[in-house]
Amino acid sequence: MAAGVAAWLPFARAAAIGWMPVASAPMPLAPREKRRTQDGFIIINVSGTKFQTWRSTLERYPDTLLGSTEKDFFFNEEINEYFFDRDPDIFRHILNFYRTGKLHYPRHECISAYDEELSFFGIIPEIIGDCCYEEYKDRRRENAERIQDDADDENNKEGVMPDMTLRQSMWRAFENPHTSTLALVFYYVTGFFIAVSVIANVVETVPCRASPGMIKDLPCGERYALAFFCLDTACVMIFTVEYLLRLIAAPSRYRFVRSVMSIIDVVAIMPYYIGLVMTDNEDVSGAFVTLRVFRVFRIFKFSRHSQGLRILGYTLKSCASELGFLLFSLTMAIIIFATVMFYAEKGSTASKFTSIPAAFWYTIVTMTTLGYGDMVPKTIVGKIVGSVCSLSGVLVIALPVPVIVSNFSRIYHQNQRADKRRAQKKARLARIRVAKSGSANAYMQSKHNGLLTDSPEQASKEAGQAFLSKTNLSFEKEHHHLLHCLEKTTNHEFVDEETYEKNCMEVSSVNPPGSRCSSISSQHGLTSTCCSRRNKKTFRLPNSNMSGSHAGSLQELSTIQIRERPLISNSRSSLNAKMEDTVQRNSEHPYVTSAIISIRTPPVTSREGNNTSDSPDYSQRNIVKVSAL
Amino acid sequence: MKGKNRKQNLSDAREVDGSYDQLTDSTEDDFELSTVCYRPEGLDKLQEQTKFTKKELQVLYRGFKNECPSGVVNEETFKLIYSQFFPQGDSSTYAHFLFEAFDTDKNGSISFEDFVMGLSIILRGTINDRLNWAFNLYDLNKDGCITKEEMMAIMKSIYDMMGKCTSPCMQDDTHREHVESFFQKMDRNSDGVVTIEEFIESCQKDENIMRSMQLFDNVI
Repeated sequence: MAAGVAAWLPFARAAAIGWMPVASAPMPLAPREKRRTQDGFIIINVSGTKFQTWRSTLERYPDTLLGSTEKDFFFNEEINEYFFDRDPDIFRHILNFYRTGKLHYPRHECISAYDEELSFFGIIPEIIGDCCYEEYKDRRRENAERIQDDADDENNKEGVMPDMTLRQSMWRAFENPHTSTLALVFYYVTGFFIAVSVIANVVETVPCRASPGMIKDLPCGERYALAFFCLDTACVMIFTVEYLLRLIAAPSRYRFVRSVMSIIDVVAIMPYYIGLVMTDNEDVSGAFVTLRVFRVFRIFKFSRHSQGLRILGYTLKSCASELGFLLFSLTMAIIIFATVMFYAEKGSTASKFTSIPAAFWYTIVTMTTLGYGDMVPKTIVGKIVGSVCSLSGVLVIALPVPVIVSNFSRIYHQNQRADKRRAQKKARLARIRVAKSGSANAYMQSKHNGLLTDSPEQASKEAGQAFLSKTNLSFEKEHHHLLHCLEKTTNHEFVDEETYEKNCMEVSSVNPPGSRCSSISSQHGLTSTCCSRRNKKTFRLPNSNMSGSHAGSLQELSTIQIRERPLISNSRSSLNAKMEDTVQRNSEHPYVTSAIISIRTPPVTSREGNNTSDSPDYSQRNIVKVSAL
Repeated sequence: MKGKNRKQNLSDAREVDGSYDQLTDSTEDDFELSTVCYRPEGLDKLQEQTKFTKKELQVLYRGFKNECPSGVVNEETFKLIYSQFFPQGDSSTYAHFLFEAFDTDKNGSISFEDFVMGLSIILRGTINDRLNWAFNLYDLNKDGCITKEEMMAIMKSIYDMMGKCTSPCMQDDTHREHVESFFQKMDRNSDGVVTIEEFIESCQKDENIMRSMQLFDNVI
């Protein structure tokens, strides 16, 4: 709940008078007002800089250092102030958080210093206001990456860690060739062979001097066929061995096989093997020749060796939409101009524009200002269209290209930021939901505990002090009293989602006695006036999402006590976590007790944890302790 | 109300700070409303008019000013503040009725005087004053009697605040039954409306109501 709104709680409670004439049930008592006079100044001395604020301002956030009793550790009697030996500049923002309910991140501060202060004062960074949250996250990520890079460098500099398996060290050698000399040698050897293979492919097609006795020049590939074949074989063998080694060393083979680099590797060596298989088959030799084209893909294997190539490939991929749009607009222009050109030149004799697709070539050549001159318009209309085409070509192509180039970096970063913001928005909505449900859950939690404060003192002694003293904040109590009054006015109760859904399903299947009995939260316990019929109500203490409560202890003992007249053993209203089983139990043992340990885990596990750690001492009294999950 | 003279203090930021820019005229217009500042009457005057002590008025004003720096609450802010206290349900309708009840001079916003006057009646007034105030809240068109439709609206708004997840499950006509029982209790001559006399008389007869009207005396 926002801090400033806490000041309006008295108003909200006063406005509850509007419900009173309408309510048909008596209202719960107001929580005891301990003191209003204690709202004095509090002086906080942070390394000499004095801050003053109201005590109640700090108490708005009871789960931080300043809002809880933890600050008493820093109280200095001599100067009668709270002294903190921390940074006063950052403290200013922290104190403003209490005042305004919004935490801001000052941009000139170092992110790690800020984080340290936040964690010292017990404030979670997630509540940084939206105005500063993005900046904060960015800086944090940069810092984390920098630390990670440093750590990686450290890792790489050191030698092979002794407890890595052979497989892991092989993979590491492949990925980071600088780790060991063997890896470096391997890296350079493969690089060399890639270069050799590519050069061989190129030289194969150059015409060599004709051997004596031949008329025309042959391409070298055919003249020195055997030599080239041996070279090719050697390269392919090296590539195959490399691929197999990478496959073996990969930590996740499935992921490795699907990666781009491995596909390139496969495509680079497949033509050779396919060629081996079908060497002498004349029919498919044409196809075989086409396959050799794929050998050029070996050049892409260089991208493992070149960081820049990888970055280029990645940026092209990320700007694909921009490039796609450019292509699309160009296509539109080409089609338009080709069509017009075709119909313009239709009349002229011996026109080269035999069809619209034939005119495409002319349009492309003209628009990109190449102008080969193999197709030229002859009619006047055609020439006019041709000139318009070339002018617009200059515009269509020349304008977007620099824009796209500058768009590369801008859109790339923007996309990243938009995704980040979307992810943060989800996180922000989740935070809001958690805070909301936290306050709602806090109410339901203390609804059950609220009984403890009104029931006799032995309750507190048995339940354990630590639990009770936690939620003594008057603001919480008053707010819960307000919600309690609303429940009484409408004769309905707040439940959490799961219980509600369960109730709905049960309502449809079973016919419950739909009595408006509000006995559960009655202060006086179960008297016969309140509830004479058996009432089945399911309760569930939401023990997840308790963002309002202490981050400390995970386990709390929570018991609910209902003082009961021993006569009414049949018409008892039972608070049960599960409708089915505990009803039976209670009817057999009127004084059975069971304590529940509610853990901060989803209800599934806590149901197991609850299983009747019965404490037989309690069974002596006329008090039935019924446990609720 | 005496506060009307004070309203001349409104400061129009556009003329004062000279940042009126021809080019960005439209954006300056957007800021016009938020720089309006309203100051309440002096502390002594308010102390005479209400039954709060000086300290209580100070505490109230500090909280008021914190949430509404401009000095007045408009309906949106009012609804927002009120909704913070009822996370599970929809409190906007009830907040609207409350707003109407507090905004006695019907100018669309609650100033600090309106706020404090209302609170003074609720928290420091006699039981009759409070009942009168509650009647005023229910009587939506302020014609002196509560009809069934008005009560339905009020009841629905209260039930809306509970939200969906309640036990037992909220039915569609839950609030209707409640209204019926209310009218049975309050409408003495069964003429379909509840007048102020009937209301006060019936409330005075009901112990629960009398007790609960004093529940929030110590709120401030």
